[in-house]
Amino acid sequence: MFTTGSKLFIGASVIALATAIIHGTTQDNSTVGIIGLVSATLALVFLAGINLWVRDSNVAADDAAVAATAAASTATPPGSMWPLIAGLGAALLPVGLVVGRVITWMSIIVLIVATVEWMVQSWSERASGDAAYNTMVRRRIMHPLELPVLGAIGLGIIIFSFSRIMLYLPAVAGAIAFSAVSSIVLLFGALFAAKRNVGRSLVATVCAIGAVGIIGAGVTSAIAGSREIVKHEVPSFEENTCGIETDGESDDHASRAVAAKSNLAATIVLSGGKLHAEVIGVIGAQDTVTLARSKYSYIRFENLDAEPRRLVADFGTETVDVNGTAVEESFTTCTQAVGQGGAQFLVVRPVLPSNASETPFTLNVPGVEGGVVTVIVP
Amino acid sequence: MSHSCATKPLQSNMTTVKNVQNQSGDSMTSNSTRRRRWAMPVAAVAAFTVLSGCAKDAPQDTWQPAGENARKIHDLQVWPFGIAGIVLLIVCAAVGYSVFKFRDRGQAIPKQSHGKPSLEIALTVLPALILIGIGIPTVSTLFDLAKTSDTECVVNVTGQQWWWEYDYPAQAGCGGIEKPIVTSGQLVIPAGQHVLLRISSRDVIHSYWIPKLNGKRDAVPGRVQTLRMQADQPGIYSGQCTEFCGLSHAYMRMEAVSLDAAGFKTWVDNQLKPYTAPTADSKYSEGEALFITNCTRCHQVNGILGTDGKEVIARPDKYVYPGVAPNLTNLMTRTTFAGAAFDLQTEACKTRLWNTPPAQFTAAYLEGVTPQCLDIVQLREWLRNPTTKKPMYADPTKLATTGGMYRGMPNLGLTEDQIDKLVAYLTERK
Ligand code: HEC
Ligand SMILES: [Cu+2]
Repeated sequence: MFTTGSKLFIGASVIALATAIIHGTTQDNSTVGIIGLVSATLALVFLAGINLWVRDSNVAADDAAVAATAAASTATPPGSMWPLIAGLGAALLPVGLVVGRVITWMSIIVLIVATVEWMVQSWSERASGDAAYNTMVRRRIMHPLELPVLGAIGLGIIIFSFSRIMLYLPAVAGAIAFSAVSSIVLLFGALFAAKRNVGRSLVATVCAIGAVGIIGAGVTSAIAGSREIVKHEVPSFEENTCGIETDGESDDHASRAVAAKSNLAATIVLSGGKLHAEVIGVIGAQDTVTLARSKYSYIRFENLDAEPRRLVADFGTETVDVNGTAVEESFTTCTQAVGQGGAQFLVVRPVLPSNASETPFTLNVPGVEGGVVTVIVP
Repeated sequence: MSHSCATKPLQSNMTTVKNVQNQSGDSMTSNSTRRRRWAMPVAAVAAFTVLSGCAKDAPQDTWQPAGENARKIHDLQVWPFGIAGIVLLIVCAAVGYSVFKFRDRGQAIPKQSHGKPSLEIALTVLPALILIGIGIPTVSTLFDLAKTSDTECVVNVTGQQWWWEYDYPAQAGCGGIEKPIVTSGQLVIPAGQHVLLRISSRDVIHSYWIPKLNGKRDAVPGRVQTLRMQADQPGIYSGQCTEFCGLSHAYMRMEAVSLDAAGFKTWVDNQLKPYTAPTADSKYSEGEALFITNCTRCHQVNGILGTDGKEVIARPDKYVYPGVAPNLTNLMTRTTFAGAAFDLQTEACKTRLWNTPPAQFTAAYLEGVTPQCLDIVQLREWLRNPTTKKPMYADPTKLATTGGMYRGMPNLGLTEDQIDKLVAYLTERK
């Protein structure tokens, strides 16, 4: 009934199970232990089962029928790495249960991939008597799946390494380094193209060295960490508020920051204690700007003077009815304070025409005598 | 010969053909396919000749420039068009020759050749030379068209769903404009002067194009893009929004009107003249009262006084998405409305205006919409229910989902009597 080999595993399973039960009932906080012992039990039961199934792989030497049909008497299948990998995946599973979800998912993926690959391989090995044909069949089926996935993983690793290197190197050095790398790639490409009969192994070696170099540098850079990223002040897009000082990295909303530098409604320049406007399409310095009603107008404030200054957009006040009481609401927006040579952006959207206000609409710099540009909203 | 004529006798012949198939069956079938093969090119050429005749008085034709900038674009396109035509002919001839010469007669495949460096180099260098030849004048024209240093006056152009607003800042240019002017639909410019449009948008991307005067320029929210405008002579030029911008994009049209210098001054003065309230106790004053209650929350009429004696300031930002509605102060000085999609004057008067020779055009346009020319029907239809004339998202039952805002002008549920009075009031806005 029980083969010799299976007895060992059955005994071991029982001990593991018993230990698991004892451990679980006697110890508090025993999750890790239970996971380990139950996993061990399952693994041992699995091995016992296999041993029983193949009856210890014991075949009587004089059994003629078996000698003709036994696997050992037919052509040996080539070695396979999938059982090994599947075993690794299975072993990772309890580790994942203890350590964390990422490893659990990894082990599940490894298990699924290994099982599928293993199944296809063992099926293809029985497809015909011709080993070369069988290999071809396996490739036919699996390559369309394997190659893109492996390629994507490879590319992902290379790209990730690139990004780590770029983040590690100073901005200028990064540009230089990657110009050099791309020139080298181009050089080798040209050499290989020009010399038609380069050996495959040479090409493979060069590529491998390149890949190892980049991945190695990527890992090193990742460990060394990213460079210090310079912080710039970012445009304040708050409406009708003054005083909120927000800081951000230059990389935040980069597209918007770049867009805010061109085709603006006006650039307001503080220079020598005087404020003037530069307006697209209008020649010369202006002391008045016309901004359309109910439209977002992008304005850039440049401070060329020594004192830090801020630009204030003052678009009058409106009396609004709040629960029966008249409340004076003001339309005022400001930039943050800007040091010498600095610039700030302001987005304004006047909703009332300037003739609706008793005081004129202005863009002004508090504390500067000549610091006013009049705004007309038709 | 039409196709059906050709097939009839052919079919009746088929029975005979069957009997004598060995002798003439082949030639019969090839005959009919040959006839069909010729039909397509012949039809294409005929269609082309007919269609090219259609462009006679096309109002939006880049091939009929009416200003300096459009002419530059036109001059630039003529040569490449010619060269492209020659290339097309050569290619067609070569393809036709090969198709005919090497048609399948059961012969062996002709000798194949691979790689001919001299030919390859020639075929790379020749197009490169052609492209360089086209590229140099193209780039210089681009810079020319982008020039802003020689412009004499400025107009801000703002697109929104689905009409264009023009505002003229106070300036010394264009013969002097003392106070800002706001109008819509028709861009009025002085003839012969370099006018600079500063184009922008209040909502989505639109594109400004008056084909006879210049190329297109996108109107992008948050940015100001410039476009030079110049018309040689007084006249009216049509255009339309050329960037798909939603439901009524097709109704987002515009017209540029150029007037002689004196005429432009008259137009400016008229736009800036102070508001005169209608005489009391008339249908006009009743119209004004109706206008204040129903329309001024969106539409501005400059100088209109409310019951409290203060000027009524419209707050369209609270009622419509783009935050504006057309300024109606001088509605009757323009001849179209609602994105230049509908006429304020009768078809006959419109045709007359569009065909007025340049010398008389300024005077004709400045007359505005005269009582004889007034087409009251379209305006009444507009007031009765704007959304049936021009599709807009202005359904009062959906305000809950839009936060109380419309896209376009809603149906205000006016009675015929109210419409009468409003139209009477509006026709005085000249
Ligand atoms: C909710 C806001 C709103 C109200 C209220 C309103 N309109 Fe309009 N009106 C608009 C908008 C928006 C347009 C532009 C529609 C377009 O062209 O797409 C318009 C266009 C017009 C035009 C065409 C103007 C031009 O130059 O193109 C006229 C005329 C007009 N409205 C008359 C009136 C009258 C009269 C009333 C009052 C009875 C009124 N409107 C009430 C929003 C409004
Ligand atoms: Cu549009």
